[in-house]
Amino acid sequence: MTMASYFQIITNMLAVAVALSAPYIFAAIGEMFSQKSGVLNLGVEGIMMLGAFTAFYFSWAYDNILLGIVMAMVVGILMGLLMAIVSITLKADQGISGIGVYMLGWGIASTLFRLFIGGVQSISGLQDLQIPILGQIPYLGKILFQHNIMVYLALLLVPASWYILYKTPWGLKVRAVGTTPRAADTMGINVIKTRYQCVIIGSMLAGLGGAFLSVAQANMFANDLIAGRGFIAIALVYFGRWEPLGVLKGALLFSLANAFQRWFQISGISFPYEITVVFPYVLIIVVLAFSYKKFSEPTALTVPYDREFKG
Amino acid sequence: MFKKISFLITLIIFAFGFLMTGAVYAEEEISIAMIFPSTIDDMAWSQAMYDGVAKLEDEYNLKISYSENLYDAVQVGSALREYAPNYDIVIAHGAQYQNIVDDVARDFPNTTFAFGTSYNAMHDNVYAYDPNAEEGAYISGVIAAHLTETNIIGIIGPVEAGDAIKYNSGFLQGVKSVNPDIKVNIGYTGSFGDTIAAKQMAESHIDAGADILTGSAQQSVGAIRAAAEKGKLWFSTDIDQSIVAPQAVVASQVLKFEEVVRYMIEARKDGIYGGEHLPMTYANGFLAYEFNEELSHLIDAELEQLVNELIEDFKSGELEIEIE
Repeated sequence: MTMASYFQIITNMLAVAVALSAPYIFAAIGEMFSQKSGVLNLGVEGIMMLGAFTAFYFSWAYDNILLGIVMAMVVGILMGLLMAIVSITLKADQGISGIGVYMLGWGIASTLFRLFIGGVQSISGLQDLQIPILGQIPYLGKILFQHNIMVYLALLLVPASWYILYKTPWGLKVRAVGTTPRAADTMGINVIKTRYQCVIIGSMLAGLGGAFLSVAQANMFANDLIAGRGFIAIALVYFGRWEPLGVLKGALLFSLANAFQRWFQISGISFPYEITVVFPYVLIIVVLAFSYKKFSEPTALTVPYDREFKG
Repeated sequence: MFKKISFLITLIIFAFGFLMTGAVYAEEEISIAMIFPSTIDDMAWSQAMYDGVAKLEDEYNLKISYSENLYDAVQVGSALREYAPNYDIVIAHGAQYQNIVDDVARDFPNTTFAFGTSYNAMHDNVYAYDPNAEEGAYISGVIAAHLTETNIIGIIGPVEAGDAIKYNSGFLQGVKSVNPDIKVNIGYTGSFGDTIAAKQMAESHIDAGADILTGSAQQSVGAIRAAAEKGKLWFSTDIDQSIVAPQAVVASQVLKFEEVVRYMIEARKDGIYGGEHLPMTYANGFLAYEFNEELSHLIDAELEQLVNELIEDFKSGELEIEIE
């Protein structure tokens, strides 16, 4: 192979990786908000599943992708509200209630799919934008400037969430509530309200991540469409050490590793495919193990806040 | 009051439970229960069986029940034990159910059990059905080799096991029999149901120059979608998938489960409850090869003739595919 064709392959891989990191970025940044405030939401997978179904259903039935995406966010908000009521107000164990939300979302999505669509249907999906000039830059144009609008939305979410968390009074509240909720409460910050806001924002973004997978990636809905991507998003929050930029790096690395393993298999190099397929997951675990720093974790994570608790 | 409400809720939950499992109750002559690893509308393996049995419904006055999405041993075992005493034929539609069928079939000698893909009919009341997926795959490979312009073909494999090995090997040999220089790339997703991973793998194949794609398992609907969006061609297996993408699916190998089940029903009338390995081949009519009419212009008379000859060769036993 010539040098140019190698560049072509690498360009393709990077372009695919950027596009495919979008659903992880949505879901993981959302989960990051939730965890920053002290709530571990393990229901991301279920919320994404429901978001993916909702977005597909409205795009398919009403031929309106924007409506689908908005409805997926609405459904995400509702699921977040449920998670918040159970884990914040009723103080249920966050791990268990998250798994409950996951199973609920998964089950409802599969059932509604059977009732309202019932079989394989597809839509044309969200189209890639043709950005003039920038899109024409050799290599870089394909990598960065030939994606659909949701990819840019996801990439914009990274600096936006950083700004919100670190440069606004609300962001300060979120971080206070997630580390020292009692002190925050003493300072007059409404711990319960802040956590509600964060869990709901997180779930809304998870719904958006699910929507991306059904209307901008698969362009169809199928049972178990999310296939574990919600749990990967949770892992990426730990990977990124609760920082937006870290989450972005993790999402890109994971997507790139996936694109690479597919190319590696297709290139015909004789190698056990089982190892190739798990490579991205192993990579994430290894990086996680070597980069983990305890102090960056929100210290109140998974601890329900009880104002009257005298402990 | 609380008792009443909780009773009502229990009732509703049970009603929903029955709806989910799709249990249908009626007094009928022959009763068949089925257990599926995916759903009856998966456009692949499970749907092939469900549609097949449904085709016999009127003819034999069947009572049909089924449970979907069952993977783990506990669920499958309890479902089989619930169905076994009340049904004539119980089909566990997956190779992964072998051990559980082995266990349950011992306790219900008057019930016919069937499962597959397998060659191992473990007891006198167990059938093991076994599609020779490589036969239709070979034919598809031959056609694909004639149609490719880039001389690159992509296979999207689920997991390197069972039917997928047979299918991929048959397809590969079909291609090579026409032109050994055609490059056939194989990429596995490591899953049967990850639609998005299948689509991404298909897109990677297309990026690598493939203009014809194929693959098995329920995830393949995602790969077909990629072929349709990029204007590439697709060869199906298990079921006619042309409805998913009429402009992409050239032809399909179809598993005629209605004939397999018909065989079991007729044997039961003669007092035979199982104990047989049922290969599914062109010779016994348990396999079929179907073209998508919308793309029939791609198949010229010469190619059609060749396909018919291949099918005849399979029927007569002249052509046999060794799995590599």
